[in-house]
Order: sequence, then C-alpha cells, then structure tokens
Amino acid sequence: MTTPTTDDQARRRSQDIVRPEKPFARFRWTVTITLLVLWFATTSTVDIELSNILELPERTVFYLTLMYGPPDLTVIGQATEAMFESLAMAWVGTMVAAALSFPLGFLAAQNLTRRPTVFAARQVLNFFRAVPEIIFLILFIPIFGLRPMAVALALGISSIGTIGKLTAEVIEGIDPGPLEAVAATGGGRLQRIRWSVIPQVMPEVVALWLYRFEINIRNSAVAGAVGAGGIGTLLVRQIGQIRDWAGAGTSLAVMILITLAVDTISGRLRRRIIRGPTRPVDVGTDDQPHDEGRDPPGRSHTPLAST
Amino acid sequence: MSVDQRSAPPTAPGRRPRKPPPTPFAVGGTVLLVAVTLAAGWDWTYGIAFSLTEIFENFTNVNPAYEGLLNIDLERFRSETVRAGFAETFQMATIATMLGAVVGLPLALFNSVTGAPNRTVYLLVKNVNSVIRAIPDLVYAVFFVAAIGRGTLPGVLALFFLSIAVIAKLTSDTVDGIDQGPIESARASGASHLQMVRTAVLPQVLPNYVSFTLYTFEINLRGSAVLGFVGAGGIGEPLNNYYQRGQYDRMWGVVLGFFLVVFVVDRLSIALRKRLL
Repeated sequence: MTTPTTDDQARRRSQDIVRPEKPFARFRWTVTITLLVLWFATTSTVDIELSNILELPERTVFYLTLMYGPPDLTVIGQATEAMFESLAMAWVGTMVAAALSFPLGFLAAQNLTRRPTVFAARQVLNFFRAVPEIIFLILFIPIFGLRPMAVALALGISSIGTIGKLTAEVIEGIDPGPLEAVAATGGGRLQRIRWSVIPQVMPEVVALWLYRFEINIRNSAVAGAVGAGGIGTLLVRQIGQIRDWAGAGTSLAVMILITLAVDTISGRLRRRIIRGPTRPVDVGTDDQPHDEGRDPPGRSHTPLAST
Repeated sequence: MSVDQRSAPPTAPGRRPRKPPPTPFAVGGTVLLVAVTLAAGWDWTYGIAFSLTEIFENFTNVNPAYEGLLNIDLERFRSETVRAGFAETFQMATIATMLGAVVGLPLALFNSVTGAPNRTVYLLVKNVNSVIRAIPDLVYAVFFVAAIGRGTLPGVLALFFLSIAVIAKLTSDTVDGIDQGPIESARASGASHLQMVRTAVLPQVLPNYVSFTLYTFEINLRGSAVLGFVGAGGIGEPLNNYYQRGQYDRMWGVVLGFFLVVFVVDRLSIALRKRLL
C-alpha cells in the first residue's frame, strides 16, 4: 500500500520532471525544408499535365479490363517460350558475371590484398555498377545483333559490379583462423585462398549468384527496349505496337507467375546453401529479392551503408 | 557452411584423415548448375545460342557504332534537347522517389509480421508487394505510355512502382530484424498497434529507411535511361533518337555525360548514407 507521502512525492516529482529537449531539431527542420523545396521545385517544373493525372485511374482500369476481360489464352505457349528465353538470358548473364566477378572480389577484399590494388579493383566495380544495362546492351548489339546473347552479356557485365562488391564483403567477413593455419603450414598466397578462403565463402557467394539471377530475370526485360527477345520484347510488342491487350494480359500473368515461382525455388535453395544440412541458423525471411536491387540477400541489415 | 563438420573419423597417427564424401545436395546442386547452364546457353528453342568464338570473332569487326565511339561528340552536353533530357531525368527520379518512399513505408511495415496489424493484412500486402516487384519497370512504362500517351508521366509512374518495390523490400527486411524490446515495452504500457509502430518500430528502422530511399534515388536515376526507349521521357529519349538514327558519335556523348552524372550522384549519395548509419 502506498502511503500518502510517497504518493505526494511521486506527483511532485512528475511535475518537476522537465522533458528532455528533442535532439536534432535543427537537423529535422533542414531535412523537412529541403524535401519540401525539392518537391515543389520538381513538381512545378515537370512537364506533366494535371488533366493527364486525373484521367489516370479511369484509363488504367479501362486498359486492365481490356487485358483481363478475359485474357487471350491462345498466346500462352508463345508467352511461356519468351519467358523461358528471358530466364536463359538471365542465367547465362549471371554465370558470365559470376566467372568475371569472382577474381575481382578477391582483389577488392581488404584482408587479402594490398591497399592500392583494393582501391583500383573497387573503382572498376564502381564503374560497372554505375552503367545501366541498356548502355551495355547498346554496346553489344553492333557486335552480336539483336539477339538474346547480346542481352545475356549486357546483364552479365553490368552485374559484375554488384556481385564483385558483395563477394569482397563476404571475403572480408571470414574467420581469420583458417587463414593463419594455412599460412603456418607454409601455404602460399594461392594456397591460402584455395584452402581457407574459398571453403569459407563459397556458400554465401553461390547464394549471391542465385540472388543476382533473380534480379537479372527482372532486368532482362531491358531487351524489350530494343527488341532483342524474351518476355520484355513480347510485352513491348503486344502493348506498345500491335495493341494486343488480351494477349498482353496473358503474357503479363505468365511473366509474374514464373518470376514468383523461380524466386521461391531460388530463395529456398539460397537458404539451404547458406544454412547447410544440419545447423538451423536463421538467415532471414526473404523468399524474393527486391526489384533491381544491387544489394545482398539480408546478410546484414545495413547492407547499403558501405557501398 | 555446407561442409559437414560433425564427424571426424578417428584415424591412425600419420595418416591423412579421409575426406568426407560430398553431400547429395552438393552433388545434385552441381549437376543442376551445369545442366541449367548448358540448357540456357545451347542453341535450341529455349536457349540463347551462346558462343565464345563469336565473341572473339565479332569484337574485331569494324562497325559504325564503335567508329562513333572514336569521335565521340562531347558538344552534345550543351545541346538543348540533351540538357532538357537530363533535367527531366532528375525530375522524374526525384518525384518518383519521394512518392515511392511515402507509399512504400506502410507497405514495408505491413510486409512484416511485427508491423502488420493482423494476419490478413500481412498476407495481402506481402502478395501485393511480390507482384509489384515481379513486374519490371520497362513493362510499367510501356503500359502507361499506351494507356495515357508518351511523355514524362508514364516514366514517373514506372519509377514510382520501382521505388515502392525497392523500398518496401529492403525496409521490411529491416523491420524483421529489429530489437523486440521496445515493442514489448510499448505493448506493456498499453499502446495501440499504431502507437506501437510509431514509437517502437519506426524509430528503429528510420535511418535504414532514409538510406534505402537515397539508394532508390540512385536506382531511379540509372533506371530512367531505359524508359525513353519506349517513350516514357527522360534522358533515354535523346539516347534512343540518336541510336535509331545511327548518330553514334552523339549517342556516345550522351552516354558519357549520363555516366558521369550517375557516378557523381552515386558517390554523393553513398557518402550521405554512410553518415546516416
């Protein structure tokens, strides 16, 4: 039971308590004002008519009903074939990227390589990250023509930057024990990498490749911009050129379903690879990657801080 | 690690321990990897006819696109169309990122069991997010161009959906990994779900969320290059024009300018993000 005195004291204390002032008030204001200025500066100058925005919901619904009321299921074979072509482009691209980024990852890892080399390797990776797929695609089309192979190579080359950087981060996170052990038995640089680094990083690196494959499936739609095959090209033709809306409904559905199915399988495989057969370690809950993202499958929760 | 480390069989002194046999998963995985790669690279209905010899043969070919690379037209930076294209790209990326960040935050919170008010909302939002994420930005762009006409608006919408996808995905992963302590104390003090999210979840994910938003801006800037190819505005429009007309010297000029812009913005954004976290 509380005595009147303590009750009284408590009340007085709570009156005396001054709430601590909120920190960062100035910071908060700066951010708010900057965002407001940015918003008004861009929206007031951008070339968009208000009437277009107002028509938007109505038109979207109209064309969606054209697509799905009902979809033209006769193109399902064509759509599936195009989607498999997209998957093939994404897969080959990812393999190309895996092969090319693997050595670069080692060169960019601070615990294996000297500083100047690390710096140079990182700049190379940054270069590949900064160039969009479409640019590489334009670069390869004169050589290979408007063919899926050009897309696969474009996807592959533009994936080097991300996979390489993430590989380097995985390598930097290894346990140095085995490294020292191999060094103690007289192992050279390559032997250290072969017997202590690779066994440690391989599961995570393979998971990275799979993750990038999932992203590349989405990115392979870039082929549609120039007409180099795959589901992207089919959709651009159906929607943008021949206006086959009912057919586009089917293609879109096929694309979404197959993408999600591959995501699920790939996500399971990734978790199994990282977790291993015995140890039930939680490695995150994601089945699917974020779109376009060039960053890791939930390795840490601040993966972007160190890009 | 998939290497089985439990059983180290006793070995006679001086003899090497026997190497454990590879797990069925490792064997199956390797076979699958090779099979899928061959199937994807082969020259058949579902393959892309990948060939290494072609790379070596064709790289030495002289073609107008690469000749254009040699006399790259740097004057293009100062032309009216290109400058307008850059401005439009920045406008599109900014508007799309801001709208996407606003819409993406609730979608991200509801995409995790912790943040969603109930299971129905959680499952609904999770599936909606998956579908949004499964559609590439180019497809959004071509849809909206066909629906409302060429221009900047379809581009903004395409990048808007792309932003939602990225922000919702990354932020909801962060929500899954937050400290449960503040959530429990908010609940214990009688907070409603909304109050709990506001006081216990949001403060924990805010720095990451802001960082992801900046990252999304980088992605949008890069992504805007392709949208012009289907008529959705931005720097892709002049790029596509020069490409279609075969004016490769000008095209490479725009490409170089775009690359420099993206590179600088990336560096700035990354420096900012590093300070945030």
